[in-house]
Amino acid sequence: MKAWFNKGEHWVWFSASAVSVAVVLVFGLLMLIAVRGLSHFWPHEVYNFEMVSTTQSASEVVTGEIHNTRIKEFDNPEKPGYQIKEPQLLIKTGNRDLYGLDFRWISEKDVKDQAWSIAPGISVIERHEWGNLYGYVESISKNGEIVAQGQGVEQALTKLIAASEKLRSEINKIEKVDVGAINHQLQSLRYEQRKLEMANKFTQADAQRIEQKKAELEAQYQTLKAGLDQMYVALNQQGEATILVSGGKQVQVPIKNMVRAWQPNEMRYDQKLGFFFGSIGHFLFDNPREANTEGGVFPAIVGTLTMVVLMTLFVMPMGVIAAIYMREYAREGWLLRLVRISINNLAGVPSIVFGIFGLGFFVYVLGHSIDQLFYSYALPTPTFGTPGLLWAALTMALLTLPVVIVSTEEGLSRVPRALREGGLALGATRAEVIMRIVLPLTMPAIMTGLILAIARAAGEVAPLMLVGVVKLVSELPVSLNAPFVHLDQKFMHLGFHIYDVGFQSPNVEASQPLVYATSLLLVLVIVSLNLGAISIRNRLREKYKALDN
Amino acid sequence: MSEKTISLAMGHDHRGLSLEQEKVAIEVRDWNLFYGKSQALNNINMDLPENRVTAFIGPSGCGKSTLLRCFNRMNDLIDSVSVEGKMHLHGQDMYAKELDVAEIRRRIGMVFQKPNPFPKSIYENVAYGLRLQGVNDKKTLDDTVEWALKGAGLWKEAKDRLNDNALGLSGGQQQRLCIARAIAVQPEVLLLDEPTSALDPISTLAIEELIFELKKDFTILIVTHNMQQAARVSDYTAFMYMGELIEYSDTDSLFTNPQVKRTEDYITGRYG
Repeated sequence: MKAWFNKGEHWVWFSASAVSVAVVLVFGLLMLIAVRGLSHFWPHEVYNFEMVSTTQSASEVVTGEIHNTRIKEFDNPEKPGYQIKEPQLLIKTGNRDLYGLDFRWISEKDVKDQAWSIAPGISVIERHEWGNLYGYVESISKNGEIVAQGQGVEQALTKLIAASEKLRSEINKIEKVDVGAINHQLQSLRYEQRKLEMANKFTQADAQRIEQKKAELEAQYQTLKAGLDQMYVALNQQGEATILVSGGKQVQVPIKNMVRAWQPNEMRYDQKLGFFFGSIGHFLFDNPREANTEGGVFPAIVGTLTMVVLMTLFVMPMGVIAAIYMREYAREGWLLRLVRISINNLAGVPSIVFGIFGLGFFVYVLGHSIDQLFYSYALPTPTFGTPGLLWAALTMALLTLPVVIVSTEEGLSRVPRALREGGLALGATRAEVIMRIVLPLTMPAIMTGLILAIARAAGEVAPLMLVGVVKLVSELPVSLNAPFVHLDQKFMHLGFHIYDVGFQSPNVEASQPLVYATSLLLVLVIVSLNLGAISIRNRLREKYKALDN
Repeated sequence: MSEKTISLAMGHDHRGLSLEQEKVAIEVRDWNLFYGKSQALNNINMDLPENRVTAFIGPSGCGKSTLLRCFNRMNDLIDSVSVEGKMHLHGQDMYAKELDVAEIRRRIGMVFQKPNPFPKSIYENVAYGLRLQGVNDKKTLDDTVEWALKGAGLWKEAKDRLNDNALGLSGGQQQRLCIARAIAVQPEVLLLDEPTSALDPISTLAIEELIFELKKDFTILIVTHNMQQAARVSDYTAFMYMGELIEYSDTDSLFTNPQVKRTEDYITGRYG
């Protein structure tokens, strides 16, 4: 034992255990959010809980998924100072429109025989409003006539829902893309008129031209609207399903209000797996519903990626050029040292401070000036004088600038002097040597800086809340209308989405799994952005590997 | 393609060489160089002959490399360096204010102690200087690269792997690539700063043979630690000590009949 200590083995174990703690923590964290997040997409079994009558409630049957468990402690009324421990179940009962709540806690001891059974043949129906519905499909009627009932009614329902969802997505596409384009053009026309009026150049001819164009657009809109109206009528005529819910009540649910329906208790494992991936697809590519507690996070994904890409476009040139000046041109001295210290300290400034700066300088000062100079026709509606994508990206670029500068400088200092001299000796100017020899060699280091910058920017929430992120947007920051990337628009962000869903939502239990799922997604987005950058870096490193020796 | 071609050397003969009869490529007059306040070169006067190999020898720190770097103004890159005196390349003032430094460096190429190929393909390494001058014509580039690689004795080994990364070459090949890169822009003068000190004996031999052939087309100035090498490759030799030019004459005389005691001490190995 003494020999073991003398050899210093215990230090090895000591440091190795520190590493294992870190590894366990990282994987524990990932596992937790992965399990909690992904289980949300799995079609869980639905059970019937036959409740015995107690002093508080009458006997009834509660139907739902088991969502969570806990041990509740009560004060024992017979023995003061002692406590009764009672296992409880959190049941997702759905049917919010009927019960007022999606979830309820029940005590296991209140369930008859403390046993519950799978509810055979029950359907779970995801709806556009009011959350899930749990019940038995009895019949489907269209225009007052029953079109399906009894055997095979579930299959008929699935088909009808698919048709209605298709119709809905078509309507959505026309409204978002085609009508959106017309609105965009009308807006441009209005601005054109305002511009001319402000310059006192608005002539009769202009008025006529604009009126004519407006009329054309109006006509286009009317044709679209006629089509849309027809589609809405068709959507309303999709019929409705009569559903028997627990308690023996029958409810009528219009098909157009359904997202999908499934029978979790009848599904085979492969069907469940298919459903699982389908749900993930819905989560990734749908718009959020019901105050973000349901539906997907597509706008948040697009917003996050657009913001990060834009930030990269700003921070890369800024950081690299600054580093080149400091390393290649500036004279070493106290001033340069001061600048370096300041940049390093900038990296330690709390991010919310950057948010305040972004709001105070970018939005209020720069944005207002830009509005005064170029968008005065739109005033008093601000264009850039309000938080938006551009300012968020710029604020994030400032926040991550020190990282890029420091790692680029590091990379520049590693380029051998001999190579620079080799270039200069061939008659290259300093700038040519930097552009053609030094910078390519510095690329791996620049990529390292970029990886760190992306990781930081994609995960940051606090400053974004001040400079452009909002809870919900109707339009994505990228669209088919020129200029395709709308720098002035507000956008959604995964990080903020987590905060919003988790802490600002009225339906805590329903949003909890979404918080985990969104967290997992955010981690995955950052990891994949990083992996992309890392693979580029490794390829570059491979290329210049021989230089290191 | 150049009108200059590399002809085979017919043998090495120092006899009958005399500085007075040579055409002057570079003229150095009253040359002083300071690192801050300390003087590194002290009143150097010499004429460097055209199409000859001139070697600079001397103990470490004698200023021979510093002087060599003066010829293509590499010392400009060091902030603390200041110079005095005159230096003329074919009669043109190399330190004239209005002169473009890059232009001087184009006319006076340099090969460094450690091979320093760029992390690009062999082809791009050799073509680099031409591309800097704005030559982008494929045919011209191809021809020049071939000519330079042949000139540097690397063509046979490299012709099938022109697009491979230059860093994959051996040390000796890399150094010959650097020579090819330097001669591709067809400079008037080629500066070699201890070009073989990082190489093995075989590669050294290859480079020495190369120097011998290159002097037909270029004026070559070589700094070397190795006196045998100086004796082998050079026509003229300059011995420097403590920043001063002690003795400068044709190689045979300097090695067989040194005029200054200090030169004799050095070449007979009494110090250095």
